[in-house]
Amino acid sequence: MSPRRIPGLARPAAVSFTFEGEALAAPAGEPLATALACAGHAALRASPAAGTPRGAFCFMGSCQECLVLVDGVPRQACLVPVRAGMAVWRVAL
Amino acid sequence: MGSAVMQEYDLGVIGGGVHGCTAALFAARGGLRVALLERGPLCREASGVNAGTLTLQMTRLALIPYALRAHAMWASAPQWLGHDVGVVVCDGLSLAFTEAEAELLAFRATKRREAGAPIDLISGRAAMAVEPGLTDRALLAGHCRVDGFANAYLTGLAFRRALLGAGVAVMENRPVTSLAREERGFTALTPTGPVRFRRVLLAGGVWIEPMLRWLGVELPIKVLVNQLVVTERVRPVMRCVVGIANGLLSLKQYPHGTVVVGGGWQGEGDRERGGVALLPERVVGNLRLACHAIPALRGARMARAWAGLEAETADALPAAGPIPGIPDAYVCGSVHSGYTSGPYIARLVAEHILGREPALPLFPIDRLLPPRGTQSPEAA
Amino acid sequence: MRRCDLIVLGAGPAGAEAALAASGAGLDVVLVEEAAAAGGQVWRAPAAASPPGLDPFPAEAEARAGAALRARLAASPVESWFGARAWSVIRPAEGGFRLDAAGPEGPLACAAPRLVAATGAVERVIPFPGWTLPGVIGLAAATVLLKAQGVLPGQRVVVAGCGPLLAAVAAKILAAGGEVVAVVDRAAPAEWLAASRALASRPRLLARGLGWALRIAGRRVPVHFAHAVRAAEGDEALRRLRIAPLDASGGFAPGGAERVLEADALCIGDGLVPGAEIPRLLRARLRFDRALGGWVPELDAEGRTSLPGLFAVGDGAGLRGQAPAVHAGRIAGLAAAQEAGRLDAAAFAAATAPERAALAGLAPFAAAMAGLMALRPGAVRDIAPETVICRCEDVTRGMLDAAFDEGAREVNQVKHFTRCGMGPCQGRSCGDVAAEIIAARLGGAREAAGFWTGRPPLRPVPLADLLGEFDYADIPIPAPAPL
Repeated sequence: MSPRRIPGLARPAAVSFTFEGEALAAPAGEPLATALACAGHAALRASPAAGTPRGAFCFMGSCQECLVLVDGVPRQACLVPVRAGMAVWRVAL
Repeated sequence: MGSAVMQEYDLGVIGGGVHGCTAALFAARGGLRVALLERGPLCREASGVNAGTLTLQMTRLALIPYALRAHAMWASAPQWLGHDVGVVVCDGLSLAFTEAEAELLAFRATKRREAGAPIDLISGRAAMAVEPGLTDRALLAGHCRVDGFANAYLTGLAFRRALLGAGVAVMENRPVTSLAREERGFTALTPTGPVRFRRVLLAGGVWIEPMLRWLGVELPIKVLVNQLVVTERVRPVMRCVVGIANGLLSLKQYPHGTVVVGGGWQGEGDRERGGVALLPERVVGNLRLACHAIPALRGARMARAWAGLEAETADALPAAGPIPGIPDAYVCGSVHSGYTSGPYIARLVAEHILGREPALPLFPIDRLLPPRGTQSPEAA
Repeated sequence: MRRCDLIVLGAGPAGAEAALAASGAGLDVVLVEEAAAAGGQVWRAPAAASPPGLDPFPAEAEARAGAALRARLAASPVESWFGARAWSVIRPAEGGFRLDAAGPEGPLACAAPRLVAATGAVERVIPFPGWTLPGVIGLAAATVLLKAQGVLPGQRVVVAGCGPLLAAVAAKILAAGGEVVAVVDRAAPAEWLAASRALASRPRLLARGLGWALRIAGRRVPVHFAHAVRAAEGDEALRRLRIAPLDASGGFAPGGAERVLEADALCIGDGLVPGAEIPRLLRARLRFDRALGGWVPELDAEGRTSLPGLFAVGDGAGLRGQAPAVHAGRIAGLAAAQEAGRLDAAAFAAATAPERAALAGLAPFAAAMAGLMALRPGAVRDIAPETVICRCEDVTRGMLDAAFDEGAREVNQVKHFTRCGMGPCQGRSCGDVAAEIIAARLGGAREAAGFWTGRPPLRPVPLADLLGEFDYADIPIPAPAPL
């Protein structure tokens, strides 16, 4: 999956955040799941039982596939707006 | 399902929880033809939704000898039950965070130790060595090497396989509407036809009270509505069963990563409606207590919560033995910490029904009934 | 504890309109919404920080309607709790309802004699091997990406499933300069033809649908009618898809020729399932209605459930779509106001008459669209045994069949046997299909297979959000258990 932002649309200014320590940038307020996918991180976790790769699926808070740690708290990336300075990590099991 | 001719069973067990299933299993293995009637699927009430803790540190004093033997039964479930219920045997800790709790803990641990539970009192620091996930705020801990937990929701499947293997006529989704005493035996009426048996065992948990009423016996059974919370799967945050001195916490992490938080905080519900509501401040209180004990739990999410019913007699000891004045009728239930001790006590009742001398005394209900002659005319 | 006259849970078209109508009639209303703004999925607010005038698609009617709704709410006395994740709704012994939520600044609670549940629907996807791969996303998810966030789901996109969203998503991708490899539609052209009669009752929507179709045709995107995805393949992410033709039952046609499509994104949706989570949690009476998407609460004409004071509106109460949801929401809001004594019978009748008339006019279209998106038994029949049904717990179709063979006869027992539905999505993604699989084994009737018992929390909630700051001494620990 290689999502990309549609060119020519006005967006809020980009802010910086980190994912697994890597510096990334995305428009402020863009849902974190979208920002991560646009940065090439479609796979966000391994399923706990079978260990298969998973990424955001429903993008509306229902499926729970995009769970990540945002500043230490487990959050659904599709529901978290990107803020400057947020530290995002994969959930390790 | 049955044939056209009505069969008479040697024993009818009404209620398919841990007690009914275990008694039915051992009675069948003892040579009786057994029918087990359950209004829903097996082990889907208290036996399937309880916290699964197999601890001695929340067990009533009088039940410690039973719980010790029951713990050994759970630990060897693959041998006698034949199927996995996810039993993990591990250390258990009962914590005291205040001086008052330390006093309560020391008293209770000593009493339980005298009753046979191998509990040592250790410092909070020593407890941290036993349980690396533990807070540094515990003053004192009861440490018991005989502890652990089962996966309560697997109980029904395990018993179902075992009962069918033992030749028990398992009648799920078959509610008994009334039970008639006959010249020789009993007939249970159900919406899908009557079932006859020579002897009857009432093993309906909180529903033992209305079941006994079928036979004219009035035994009040209090209904507890225990709240439970389970987290989603998280990285290992603890390895022991953790409780607190007054018994209002039970906490452990299953091998697949979920953490179950219980302890008997009361929700809303009753015998008729089941557990209908969890009170939010009590859910939060229970969770605060859990996170106080195991700080890393704060990083988890609550995935599901529910309330399960628990039965309690007036003296909070089991109702397990013959039903006075009614030959061939027996009762088994209301075992405080019933999931832990249930299999052993139900096995004793099965031994009694088979005419054998139980290894430990039963808990006949005579003590809980009005003296003979003072019962109401209908109950006489 | 905030006490009010009415709690509305969910600020999509149904909930927001219920809140506005009740508030307009004089009720003190608290509107609780998990998202940062009102609008729901259809009228979703564009990415939070967009300054006014910078919406990605300002010309769209839906964007305008959503903005108008948000402006009306902001100007109204309705107290909106945005960013609040409701986790508990109970009927306390003293009556009414109590809602607890994890809010952006900490725990929140409110109580009211009445509650309107407007929690919307979730998308149904008929599982196939590989549907858990990153790169496979929901069709509704694609609309969120495209419309609210201005993002194309991939470089080479396949759009698959059923219903009107297929054409909408494909056309939007093309309009934004993306590539659509193919549209894979479960429906046959004849079914669309039949549905188009109802579509004619809403000419603007018909015109829009034709516009989508023309754009797709103009770009020579292959449209595979009466086809479905059979498998998605790739190691760490989606690489290719296999699609195959369907027969009249909705299952794969025996011997049908498979096609392989190279794609890095699949947007797939096989209809919607009503959430009905509040009626389910509170044990209101439900009924199974295939045409309305599944288990729905029993409702009267004003949205009352079987529980006094509890209303349910919008797609969560039965799939009818956004336009009917607006009117059903207003009627329920007014009915709550009337129950509270703020409207007499005449005023209530006058205020609701236009809403009822509008609802009646919209019914044929809603029924036609729901028909296109209804679950077809053949589709579930042909799910391969190795296919993951429960994404959270990796429970396969084969495991569900094995549980049935072991004696599990309804979904809660199946859950105990397999952990299907025990994960953090709480059965939202798998519940409908799992129940359909068990129902098929029981002879077909969904009533026999049952539905997951409703349990709190309504959504998984981080403990950190619930606990707040506390001292050990503040924990109201009950009295000791007996020794």
